[in-house]
Amino acid sequence: MREEILQAQRLSYTYQLGSPALSEVSLSVARGEKIAVMGANGAGKSTFFLCLNGVLEPETGEIYYQGTLAKRRTLRRHVGFVFQDADNQIIASTVEAEVAFGPMNLKLPRSEIRERVEEALEYMDLQAYRQRPPHYLSGGEKKRVSIADIIAMEPEIILFDEPSSALDPLSAEMLEQVLEDLSKEGKTLLISTHDVDFAYRWAERVVVFDHGKILADGKTQDIFGQEQVLRQAHLKKPQMLKVYEVLLERGAIQAGSRPRRAEELADCMGGVSG
Amino acid sequence: MKRHRGYRHSHKLADMDFYACHSGLRDWNGCYKVGSALWILLLCLVLDNLWVSIFVIVTMGALNRKGNRIEIRAYLRLLRIPIFFLATGCAVLAFEISKEPAGEWSVALYQCYLYADAERLWQAAKLFFRAMGAVSAMYFMALSTPAWELASVLQKIHVPKVFTELMHMIYRFIFILAKVRKTMKMAACSRMGDVDFKTSCRTFGQIGGNLLIVSLKKANTYYDAMESRGYEGEMPFWEQEKPVRMWQILALAAYTMALAALWFWRKP
Repeated sequence: MREEILQAQRLSYTYQLGSPALSEVSLSVARGEKIAVMGANGAGKSTFFLCLNGVLEPETGEIYYQGTLAKRRTLRRHVGFVFQDADNQIIASTVEAEVAFGPMNLKLPRSEIRERVEEALEYMDLQAYRQRPPHYLSGGEKKRVSIADIIAMEPEIILFDEPSSALDPLSAEMLEQVLEDLSKEGKTLLISTHDVDFAYRWAERVVVFDHGKILADGKTQDIFGQEQVLRQAHLKKPQMLKVYEVLLERGAIQAGSRPRRAEELADCMGGVSG
Repeated sequence: MKRHRGYRHSHKLADMDFYACHSGLRDWNGCYKVGSALWILLLCLVLDNLWVSIFVIVTMGALNRKGNRIEIRAYLRLLRIPIFFLATGCAVLAFEISKEPAGEWSVALYQCYLYADAERLWQAAKLFFRAMGAVSAMYFMALSTPAWELASVLQKIHVPKVFTELMHMIYRFIFILAKVRKTMKMAACSRMGDVDFKTSCRTFGQIGGNLLIVSLKKANTYYDAMESRGYEGEMPFWEQEKPVRMWQILALAAYTMALAALWFWRKP
C-alpha cells in the first residue's frame, strides 16, 4: 500500500451560472500514482484540477495534503498545474524569465532559482531557447516551456490538462517520454485526456468524470472493460482492447489479463500459435 | 517584407522587436545600452554641429549593422518614416513665402513667391542632420533592447512597479492578441467577410468586439495560471545578470572624446 499524498473530500463547485461543475467529488491519490482523468468536455475535470491546485476554492469539501488539511497556498506550492493552452500560461517575456516565474514566487534565494531554472531547461531540452521571447516559439516548444515552468517549482504532484491536444506526433512522443521520466522520479501525475489509447497505455488508474461526479475509478484495464461506464461517459474503447476482444471472440487467443502493449498482446497469442 | 520562420513581419513594431530579440548585443547590460544611447543623443543635441551629427549617424548605423545585425536595406526601410517627417519639417523651415521676390533663390507661385537663401538652407540641413543623429541613437536603443529589458531598466531607476509590470504584460499580450486577430481576420476572409467595403467595415467591427470578449476571457485564464504558480500580487521577473564590461565603459568614453574632438576641430 503506497502512502497517500493527496485526498479530496466531497468537493463541490458551481460557476456563477448553471449547474454545478463539481458535486461532492471525493478522490484519494497515492504517492507516485499515474492517473488518467477522463470524461466529456464540461464533465468537471478542469474545475477539479483547479481546486486541487488551490486556484479555485471549493464551495464545500476539503483537500488534505499528506494527511493534513491543506490551505490553498500549500496546494499551489506542492501541486503543479500544466495548462492546456501554453499561450494561456506563459507570462514572461523570455523563456528563462518564464521558467523562473514560479520559483521567484516561492521566494527562493537567487542562487537556487538559477539552479532550478537551469535544471528545468535542461530537462525539457530548452537551453538553446533561454533568451527567446515566447512568441518566437513553435507550439511544441511552448508546451515544453509550460512543463519546464512547473518542473522548476519541484511540486510533488503534477496535473496536466489535456497535454497532448494540439501537439504534433513528435512532440506528443516527447511528452510521453517526459511523463515517463517524471514518473520514474517518483512524481505523482494526474492527466486529463480524451485520448483513450494514450490513457490505456500510460495510466495505471483511471478516474472517469461525468456531469461533475466521479462515475468510475479503478485500475485502467478494469475501467476500460466496463461497457456501461464507457457508454455513459462517451468514451471509445482503446484500439488495443478492441483488437484483443475481436481476437478473443474468434478464438485466436486465450483469455488472460487485458494487454496494454503490443508485446503483451503477442504474449497472449503465443499460447495458441505455439 | 521578410519571412522569419513562416511569420511575415510587415509590421514595423514587430520588425523592431524581432531585431532587438536577435541582436548581437543581446548580452550587453540593459542599463548600459539605454544609458549610452541617451548620452549620445544628448551629446548630438547639445554639441549642435553638422560634423558631429554626421559622425553619430554613420557610427550608429555601423553599430546597428554590425552589432544589431540588421541589413542596410532593412535599416534604411526602418528609417524611412523619420526621414520623411524630418525632411518635410526642415523643408518648411528652409523655404519661406512672400508677396515679393526675396532671398537668393525664388520661385513664382501664382501671386506669391517661394524663396530660400543659403543661410536658411544651411540651418535646415544642420537641423536635419542633428535630428537624424538623435534618431539614430534612439534606433540603436530600440534595435538592441527588447521592450522587456527596457521595462527592467525603468524598474531599476525606480519607475513605479505598476508601470513596469504593465509593460511586461502588455508586451506579452500584444503578440497574443495580434495572433488572435490575424486568425479571426483570416477566418472572416475565408467566408467572404471582405467582399466589399461595407462588409469589410462590418467584419472589422465584429472582430474588434470579439477581441474584447476573447481578451476578457484570456485575462481570467491568465489570472488562474498565475495564481497556480504562486502569484500573490507581485511579479518579480527574473533577469539575467549582464555586468557592464570595462571595455564598454572605455569605448563609450573614447566615443565621447571623439565627438568632443570633432566639435573642437570643426567649431564655427
